[in-house]
Amino acid sequence: MELSPSERIKIESRGLRGTLKESLADDLTGALREDDKILLKHHGMYEQDDRDRREERAEKKLERLYSFMIRLRIPGGLMTAQQWIALHNIAGEHSTGTIKITTRQTVQLHGIIKSHMKPTLKSFYLEGLDSIAACGDVNRNVMCSSHPKVSAVHEEVFRFADKISTLALPKTRAYYEIWLDQEKLADYNEEDPLYKDTYLPRKFKIAIAIPPHNDVDVLANDIGLIAIIENNKLLGFNVAVGGGLSTTHGNAATYARLGTVIGFVSGEEKILKTVYEIITIQRDYGNRSDRKQARLKYTLDKMGVDNFKIELFKRSGFMLEPERSYILEQRSDYYGWQQNHEGLWYYTVFVENGRIVDEGAHRVKTALFEIAKTGKSDFRFTGNQNVMVSDVKPAHKNEIHDLLEKYGVIWNTASSSPVRKNSMACVAFPTCPLALAEAQRYMPSFISKVEPLLEKYGMPRDEIVIRMTGCPNGCGRPYLAEIGLVGSNEGRYNLHIGGDRLGLRLNTKYKENLNESEILSEIDSMFSIFIQEKNGGETFGDFSNRKWIAHQS
Amino acid sequence: MLSEPKLKNLNELVRDLSKDEIIWMNGYLAGVSRLETNGVSIPQNGKHLVAETVAETIHVSNVTTIQPAAVVVKKMTLAFGTETNNSKKLATQFAAKAKQKGVAVKLTSLEQYKPTDIAKEENFFVVMSTQGEGEPPKAAKKFYDYIFNGVGDVSNLNYSVLALGDTSYPMYCKAGEDVDVRLDSIGAKRAIPMMKCDVDFASDANNWFEQVLSFVDKQSASVQPGSTLSQNGGSVLQNGYEAKPIQKTSHTKKNFEGVVSAHINLNDLGSSKETYHIEIACEEEIEYLPGDAIGVVPENNLWEVEKVLSFSAIPRNRKISFRGEEFEAEELFTKKISISFLPERIIQSYAKLVGQKIPSARMNLADLIRIYPFKGIVSFDEVIAILEPITPRLYSIASSPAAHSGQMHITLSRNKFLVNDDVKYGLCSDWLSHIHSEAPIKFYVHRNNNFKLPSHVDDVIMIGPGTGIAPFRSFLAERDATGAGGRNWLFFGEQHFLSDFLYQTELQSWKETGVLSNISLAWSRDQQEKIYVQHRMKENAAELWSWIESGACIYLCGAKEPMSVDVENTLLDIIITQGNRTETEAKELLDEMEMNGRYSKDVY
Ligand code: SRM
Ligand SMILES: Cc1cc2nc3c(=O)[nH]c(=O)nc-3n(C[C@H](O)[C@H](O)[C@H](O)COP(=O)(O)OP(=O)(O)OC[C@H]3O[C@@H](n4cnc5c(N)ncnc54)[C@H](O)[C@@H]3O)c2cc1C
Ligand SMILES: Cc1cc2nc3c(=O)[nH]c(=O)nc-3n(C[C@H](O)[C@H](O)[C@H](O)COP(=O)(O)O)c2cc1C
Ligand code: SF4
Repeated sequence: MELSPSERIKIESRGLRGTLKESLADDLTGALREDDKILLKHHGMYEQDDRDRREERAEKKLERLYSFMIRLRIPGGLMTAQQWIALHNIAGEHSTGTIKITTRQTVQLHGIIKSHMKPTLKSFYLEGLDSIAACGDVNRNVMCSSHPKVSAVHEEVFRFADKISTLALPKTRAYYEIWLDQEKLADYNEEDPLYKDTYLPRKFKIAIAIPPHNDVDVLANDIGLIAIIENNKLLGFNVAVGGGLSTTHGNAATYARLGTVIGFVSGEEKILKTVYEIITIQRDYGNRSDRKQARLKYTLDKMGVDNFKIELFKRSGFMLEPERSYILEQRSDYYGWQQNHEGLWYYTVFVENGRIVDEGAHRVKTALFEIAKTGKSDFRFTGNQNVMVSDVKPAHKNEIHDLLEKYGVIWNTASSSPVRKNSMACVAFPTCPLALAEAQRYMPSFISKVEPLLEKYGMPRDEIVIRMTGCPNGCGRPYLAEIGLVGSNEGRYNLHIGGDRLGLRLNTKYKENLNESEILSEIDSMFSIFIQEKNGGETFGDFSNRKWIAHQS
Repeated sequence: MLSEPKLKNLNELVRDLSKDEIIWMNGYLAGVSRLETNGVSIPQNGKHLVAETVAETIHVSNVTTIQPAAVVVKKMTLAFGTETNNSKKLATQFAAKAKQKGVAVKLTSLEQYKPTDIAKEENFFVVMSTQGEGEPPKAAKKFYDYIFNGVGDVSNLNYSVLALGDTSYPMYCKAGEDVDVRLDSIGAKRAIPMMKCDVDFASDANNWFEQVLSFVDKQSASVQPGSTLSQNGGSVLQNGYEAKPIQKTSHTKKNFEGVVSAHINLNDLGSSKETYHIEIACEEEIEYLPGDAIGVVPENNLWEVEKVLSFSAIPRNRKISFRGEEFEAEELFTKKISISFLPERIIQSYAKLVGQKIPSARMNLADLIRIYPFKGIVSFDEVIAILEPITPRLYSIASSPAAHSGQMHITLSRNKFLVNDDVKYGLCSDWLSHIHSEAPIKFYVHRNNNFKLPSHVDDVIMIGPGTGIAPFRSFLAERDATGAGGRNWLFFGEQHFLSDFLYQTELQSWKETGVLSNISLAWSRDQQEKIYVQHRMKENAAELWSWIESGACIYLCGAKEPMSVDVENTLLDIIITQGNRTETEAKELLDEMEMNGRYSKDVY
């Protein structure tokens, strides 16, 4: 089978360099050359354009309003106060100003024009931040359950995120040469035993969950590691492989899949070896001609789970142990103040759809900046697009609290309804080139229309999980929601129901291509049946699965 | 009698001379001796004059034998005052022709001319244009002001004016006319009546110069060899000279009517500029070439019109006659009469009319008649009589006949300025900024023969920031459509890359298809320090110079100040540093290129 075009581009790229330097120097356009756009992703950036402005710009004989989105690599989502100050300033100087927390515990800045790319990356680099491999056919930002209060060994588990990230970094120095103007290193060996010159067939995602918290949606990842902890000791990890959510409208061969737990592994060396060799299997067996069939989930299903395990054994030289039992009990964030075992304080801020921007009395961007300036906290992103003001010493808690109070953060986090705080939406318009429908721009007003329905049926405090994306790629993990809305067309969504509250069961498409009023009336009538027929504490996700989905299959 | 060295020189000089030459020298020396004995010294620049005269005459003497004595008196000063080089080119041609005829010519720009020298002139011929709203070109301003502020004795001066102008402007050839009338009134002798020329000036201008030559000829013919050259020989001669009535060829200038078929603000959100791409569709095929402009007479601001009507208490439909035509008041003030930012001359005529002291500052008609009412003093018709028609404005054509048949495009910048902190807009550009699609629009074609593409194979360097890009869009479209092989290099600049990149997508596709070989861009406000096109030229100095050396033609279009000045200085700099020339040599080279059509400017 013929290789997909991306394969040629990677191979010919001389270590992801391509003609990026020439593309940057071309001042006739704000865009990059075609091949360089693909390579750029491996450096953590995407070329985008403001889709709202396409037609008008075309009429003005101006090219599209190109700009770049930068996604940082922040394993486990931890940032220092000093890094936050830099992020805040860089966002203001080079991007739209909005800091966007993603569903994978990192941040994106949008609207950076070509001539600002290098200054942006240089400024980040000065603070020890980079965007290497944040996108592209490589291992992405490694996630880890965010809240230190969940376990005394949180810190120990957390360090694995960084170790795995480092393990799976590409060896090329292209990033340093292109963006930071560093000299070629004379005696540096760029040979990359993991990625070779073809990199992976597709993106690759790893997450670590620390039970009982599943804020990372661990089973949605190519590799999901579930920490097994006994008596405050980390024993090792259950290993789940082949998770992935994306589907494509009209392509029946694509499907969302939860990771399959294939065993347990302990000991740092073995843990890292296991992760490494799973990546090499995907590297060698993954489909390189059809990118829609290239994720590990398809590789796994083609090989079969048993063959996969055998291949892994051949490569690692040891067998995985049988999986251990674990319990995941919560997916949503622990909002507000929480304390960990050492007595440090953590305030989880609700950031609707991850957009950190001052709006009215809710000046969350200013609040976080002011807090960072005190130097008395760190910052941790969660897989639910929120941020935690973290590791605050008891002596500083009041000071931080006052700042949160002053800029309306306490008020907003406390007063937002549970359904709002449990919802997620992806970026979509105007920057995402793949968006078919609105998501994060529309979600807040949509939730405002669902709230009265919950009110109407007497369940305003229900923690139902609603997630929306602008297309079936599933960036907001809508397939793991109790109500998933997957954009199909302008103003229209497929309605998915039957997912559970914890992210352990996929939902199912129930109705297609509905507009807002159709969606709301479906929800209205489902809720009315739900409150009449539910069993005790049954969640809407479980109920709807039982009522409308399960019996179909 | 001669000292040793002098004798040696003389012998050397005479050794190689032909017989004819010796005879001529004999006569020449006789003439000089007569001048000397009469106490007339050879003119200051006599050395130069004599040398040139000798050279010219020797050249001609191969064909005809010239009366030596006549040479001395055939002299004239040809002074030109130009904005767009028409006058300069004419004067230069004339000078060459005159020299061929054995006339000693001092060719000078009025800018360089020392006005006080005029009292010393004998034969003084001026070629000058009119600019603005009947003003002299900037280069002639110093001279113009000087003669209007009293001069020494010019009673020995023979003069004539060739006035270039354009009948499309209400103040046709006004500046030339002013100079002609003024010189006459201060006592100079009008050798030949003034000739006014419209834009197709070639034959009228030649006609005028033929008369100049024959005047100078007659002047010298009547000075017999051996007779004394009187100091005011010229004026004596003039009595015997019959000026031929000047033949005016009639030319009808064509006005076209089209409709606005596209009207697009090329600047994007966040820009401080408004630059409109306007397309005019015409049924009639219009003849023009890339580099030409169109002239448009704007309509007045409707609010100003209402104020004039109300302050003058004239019913909008009252019939009023103006310059031989009759209009209803509203139409007259909307479309015909200039009512905004009136020139001082009108303000002063009005002051006289109403018998008031009015400070000589420009103002709108509405304010003028409101603050200094005419009612009860003079009739409205008398006020109308001192007013002037609306002046047309020129806009470079941005389309190409080969690529955009049936259409005329322009690139219009809405002219915005502050007056006492109030934002104001230029009349015509404001009107065109608001003109609706489908609106009819009248215009004429203003040819610019000094701004034309070279042959297909020649390389072209185009420097056109801002709306200066307009003719270059035409050039590029034309060269693309006709498959011209020469290379093209565009320098363009504006404030911001994102919002002000005029014609970006078109330039991109020309770059892709190879029509545009090089493009250098300067965004003045996308970084801390200001970057302009001249900075890009400097950065590319070596390559620019190699283009110039291999024969490229340079074109410069856009704002006169400060852009064109800075760019020209940069060009000179590049010639000096890359071409290893002195400053004078660089200037000469650029001058020469300008004369040969290899360096052309269309700046405003
Ligand atoms: C920012 C983020 C959504 C958000 O609102 O937070 C996001 C945004 C985009 N995703 Fe995603 N994805 C994001 C998490 C996800 C997830 C969720 C997850 O990983 O937990 C998924 C589903 C899980 C999965 O991978 O199966 C996801 C599946 C995709 C896909 C489909 C991949 C596939 O297997 O087919 C694409 C399209 C593609 O890769 O071709 C995509 C592509 C994109 C792009 C880069 C669009 C593009 O390719 O040009 C979006 C950028 C929009 C913008 O303007 O910012 N994104 N994307 C998330 C960034 C995570 C991060 O920090 O790395
Ligand atoms: C050969 C040539 C080519 C040209 N090509 C182009 C072209 O391609 N594109 C383009 O946009 N322009 C071009 N121009 C310029 C154009 O012809 C006009 O000069 C320009 O549009 C301004 O005209 P206006 O009627 O808008 O302004 P005007 O009303 O004529 O005002 C001109 C100036 O007078 C002053 N002024 C006017 N009113 C007042 C007032 N009330 N108070 C104080 N000051 C005042 C201001 O300084 C103002 O800038 C070209 C000019 C020439 C000569
Ligand atoms: C902006 C502008 C204003 C002009 N105004 C007048 C005018 O008021 N009266 C006139 O007769 N000609 C006017 N002209 C026409 C010029 O005098 C004419 O084009 C002439 O050929 C220019 O000669 P030059 O190149 O030597 O300056 C104007 C031309 C321009 C470009
Ligand atoms: S889900 Fe689709 S629309 Fe939303 S960010 Fe991802 S790719 Fe874009």
